[in-house]
Amino acid sequence: MALLKPELYGVREGSRLAEDPEWEDVVPIAHQEPEGALAAIAYPEEYAEAMAYLRAVMKAKEHSPRCLRLTEHIINMNPAHYTVWLYRAANVFALNLSIPDEIAWLNGVALRNLKNYQIWHHRHLLVEHYYPQLSLQGPSAIAEFAASEQSFLRDILAEDTKTTTSAELAAIETLLDDDVRNNSAWSHRFFLVFSNPAHSTPGLAASEPDPKVPQEIVDREVAYAMAKIRLAPQSQSGWNYLRGVLVKAGRKLATVEGFTNEFVKGLGEDGEGEDVRSTHALDLLAEIYAERGDKDKADLALRRLGEKWDRIRVGYWEWRRKGLEIGAEA
Amino acid sequence: MPGLRPWDDRDRAGLALEVAGGVVPRTLTVTSGPDPGLRPATTGPIPSQTAKTDPITSPRGAANIARFPIADDGTWNNAKQYFITSIVPGFPPSAYMPLRTKGSRPQKRVAFPWKMTTTTTPQQAQGQPSRSPPSPAATALPRVTVTDDDDDGSDSVDEEIVADPISNLGFMIPDIFTQLPLIRDELVTKTSIEQDETVEACLPFLRGDDDFFDYNEHGVPELDRERHIRFLRQCLGKLPGRFVAADASRPWFLYWCLSALTMLGEDVSSYRNAVIATARSMQNETGGFGGGGGQLSHMATSYAVVLALALVGGEEAYDVVDRKAMWKWLCSLKQPDGGFQVCLDLTPESPAWKEDGSANLLTGVSDYIRRCQTFEGGISGQPNAEAHGAYAFCALGCLALLDHPSSCLDIPRLIAWLSARQYAPEGGFSGRTNKLVDGCYSHWVGGCFPLIEACLAGGGATDSDGTKLPPATESLYSREGLTRYILCCCQDQSKRGGLRDKPGKMSDAYHSCYVLSGLSSAQHQWELDEPTDAATGGDGAATAAAEPAWTVFPYLDGPQVFAPKDRVRPIHPVYAIPQQNVCAIQQYFQAKQGF
Ligand SMILES: [Zn+2]
Repeated sequence: MALLKPELYGVREGSRLAEDPEWEDVVPIAHQEPEGALAAIAYPEEYAEAMAYLRAVMKAKEHSPRCLRLTEHIINMNPAHYTVWLYRAANVFALNLSIPDEIAWLNGVALRNLKNYQIWHHRHLLVEHYYPQLSLQGPSAIAEFAASEQSFLRDILAEDTKTTTSAELAAIETLLDDDVRNNSAWSHRFFLVFSNPAHSTPGLAASEPDPKVPQEIVDREVAYAMAKIRLAPQSQSGWNYLRGVLVKAGRKLATVEGFTNEFVKGLGEDGEGEDVRSTHALDLLAEIYAERGDKDKADLALRRLGEKWDRIRVGYWEWRRKGLEIGAEA
Repeated sequence: MPGLRPWDDRDRAGLALEVAGGVVPRTLTVTSGPDPGLRPATTGPIPSQTAKTDPITSPRGAANIARFPIADDGTWNNAKQYFITSIVPGFPPSAYMPLRTKGSRPQKRVAFPWKMTTTTTPQQAQGQPSRSPPSPAATALPRVTVTDDDDDGSDSVDEEIVADPISNLGFMIPDIFTQLPLIRDELVTKTSIEQDETVEACLPFLRGDDDFFDYNEHGVPELDRERHIRFLRQCLGKLPGRFVAADASRPWFLYWCLSALTMLGEDVSSYRNAVIATARSMQNETGGFGGGGGQLSHMATSYAVVLALALVGGEEAYDVVDRKAMWKWLCSLKQPDGGFQVCLDLTPESPAWKEDGSANLLTGVSDYIRRCQTFEGGISGQPNAEAHGAYAFCALGCLALLDHPSSCLDIPRLIAWLSARQYAPEGGFSGRTNKLVDGCYSHWVGGCFPLIEACLAGGGATDSDGTKLPPATESLYSREGLTRYILCCCQDQSKRGGLRDKPGKMSDAYHSCYVLSGLSSAQHQWELDEPTDAATGGDGAATAAAEPAWTVFPYLDGPQVFAPKDRVRPIHPVYAIPQQNVCAIQQYFQAKQGF
C-alpha cells in the first residue's frame, strides 16, 4: 500500500484550529450546555474546539480534505462518535477518494479499537460503495480485493458480496482448531455453509429445513461437529451446531442417537452406574426419545438432568417434562 | 392470538404512515445498521478493591461506563446491530396495577416496602384489599436437608441445602452454588481458562468467604442501597474530561441512572427540569434525539431520552418530544427488509425505504425478527449473526407489542437457549454460548422470562409443529441463583458503590441499571391477565377496561435468600420502567388529539 496522502490523512499537530490559517474562514459553532444539564462532560479544550468546527462544516455541508482531516482528529479523541463517522463517509464519497486508501487508514484505527461498531459500519459503507466499481472490473478484481481483505473483512465481504470462499471456511476451521469452544466461529461456520447462495434457499430462517442443501454437505458438517464434540463434550457450541445442521437438513435427531449415547451410560441406574459426560448429550437424548414417542425414557433423561446433572436449570427441565405429557395427549 | 391479547388487539389503522385526521401514531422500531456502541480498550491495572476510588474520576470507570448496552461485549461479527425501541401510546389506564380479581395465589399478596400506585377500574374496585401481610409460608425458612450424597436416587428435585464444608459453617447455601460443576472437560482452551478463572473469582463471594460483606443466614449480603444511590447520583453530575468517550452516549446515562435510582426507591422527579433541559439540547428539528447537541439523531439515544422523560414524568417532560418530527424521522429509517437503520447515513447510497402506501412502519418487522433467530435458538442482531442475550430481550419486547411471539419464533428453542445462559456455580447469566456470566444479562436474559411466561400462559403458544406448549407454572430459571449472583458478586464493595459485571470489574452506570433490573425481575412475578367475558360484555365503553393487564406480585416460591428490605421496585416487563410511569405517559398521549 502506497503511503497515504498527507493532505487527507494524518494526525494534526500542535496549533489550535482557531490559529490555523486553513480554518480562518470558518466560524466555529460552540455548544452551550443548558443550565443544570445532566451527565455533562467537562470537555477538554481541544475536543470542544474540534467539535465546534465540526458543527460549522456539517451545517455548511462542506466536503473537503480539511473536513476529512478534522474527522480523523475527532475520531482519535473519541472513536465512538457515530456522527463524525457518518460525516467522514460522506466526505470520502463526495470527494471520490480512493476506497483502498480509506480502508488502509481504517485498518490502523480498527486495530486500536477492535470492538468499535462505528468502524465496522464505516467499513460496511465503504465496501458497499466500492463493490459496484469492482464488479465493472470483473471477477478477478473482486477476488483480488477479497484476498487483500481476507484477514479483516471476512464477515463483511461474505455478507455484502456473497463471496464465500473456501479460504474463509478454512480460516474458521483454524479458529475452531485453536479453541473448539469459540462460539462466534461456530456461528459463522453455520452462516458460511448454510447461507451459501450456491446451495441454499434465500430468506429461510436458520431453524427452517432447506431442501437445497446437498446431502454430502450435511454429512460433512455432521461429521465435523461430531469430531469436535468428542474433544470437549461438555461444550455446548458443538451440540448446538450438530442439532442446527440436522434441523436444516430435515433429518431426524435419532440419526445421531448412537453418537449421543457415547456420552451417557447407565441412565437411571443407581450409584456409580450412571455416567454422564455431557449434559447436552442427555438433553439431546431426551429429545430423541420424545421424537419417537418413548415418553418414559425422555422423562427419565429430563428428570436426571434436573436432579443431578444440571440442577441450576431444574425449572426448565421440569417444564420440558410437562411438555412430554401434552405431547402424549396430542 | 389468544395468549397475549393486549399486544395485537390495538387499532392497526393508527400504525399507517399517513398520519392524518388526528390519529395518534403508534410506532415501533427495529433498527438494523450500526449501533453506536463502543467498548474502549480497558487497559491498566485494576484499582484495588479497598483503595479509595473516585467513581467518576477513575480511569477504568470512565472506560467502562462509556458503553451501549448492545455493545457490552460486542463482537466484531455483529458489526451491524439492531435495537428495538417502542413508544406505543396504546394502553388504557386500567392496564396498570389493577387489583387482582382472580382467586389464585392469594398467598402472594404482601406489602411492598414502597408506596405502590394502583389504578382501579369499576369492575375491580370492590372490596379487594390492595395489600395484605406476608403469609407465614412466605417467611418460613426453606426445608434444610443435610446430605452429602447428591445422588440419592429419589424423585425429589428439591434443592439440597448443605452447610458448605470449606468455610462459614451454618450458611444455608445449596451446594450447586459453592462447588464446581459435576461435568468438566479436560481439554484446556482460552475459553475454558477464562471460565475457570471466572468461577474462581466468584466462589469466595458465593460461599460467604468475602470479608467485605455481612452475610445473612443464606450466605447472601444485603443490598448496599445507600452506596449505590450515591454512585448513581454522581454519574448524573458533571463528568470529567476523560469521559469524552461517552460523549455520544450521554442520554444513556440519564436512563441508566434514573432507572436504577427509581428501582432503589428514590424519587427522581427532582431531576425533572434538568432532564427536560438536557433532552431539549439533544433533540434535532428533523426528529429524534442524538447523543448530544449537534449530533445526529440515533435510535438508541432516542430510546434512552424518551425513557428518561417518562421516568421523571409530567406534561412538560412529555411535551419535549416533537412527535411529528420523530415520526417522520422513524419513517426515514425504515428499511426494505423490514428492519430499521439506527441512524440516517449521510451518504446518497443509503437505501431509504420508499413509502408506497402499501406498507407502514411495522411492515415486515416480525418477519425480520424471525430471520434473526439463529440455529442455536437465540436471537442475533441481524440475520445470520451470533445469538446474543441483548437481542433476545429486544426481539421479545418488540414481538410482545406487535404480535404473539410464538407466531414467528421457535419458542421451545428460544427457551432452551435462554435457559442455557444460566450457569452454576455462578448463578448468573451469560450473553452467548460458552461466554462468561455478566451482571447485565440479569436483565437482557433474565428479563426475557416474564415475557416468555406470559407467552406460555393461557395455552396460546405452540411449537413449530403446532403442538401446544405447557404453561410455566414454576419459574423457568433459578431465581435464587440469579439473586445470589447479583447480591454476592455484582456489588462493588469499595466505597465507590454501584453494580458491576463480575468480581474484579469496576461498577458503572450501565451495569448498575441492568443488574438492578435483573434483580427486580428475579424478585417479582408478572402475570398477564386476559379480560374476562364479563368484563368485555360486548360494550364499546368497556373495551378499554377489558384490555388485559400486567399484574405484579412479589415472587415468594422457594427460599427467600434476600431480606424484605432488599426488594427493589418492579419495572414493566417490556418498557423496563415502573408501570405507573408507563401508564402516565400513555394516558397523556392517548388523551391528546393528533401529535
Ligand atoms: Zn455486562
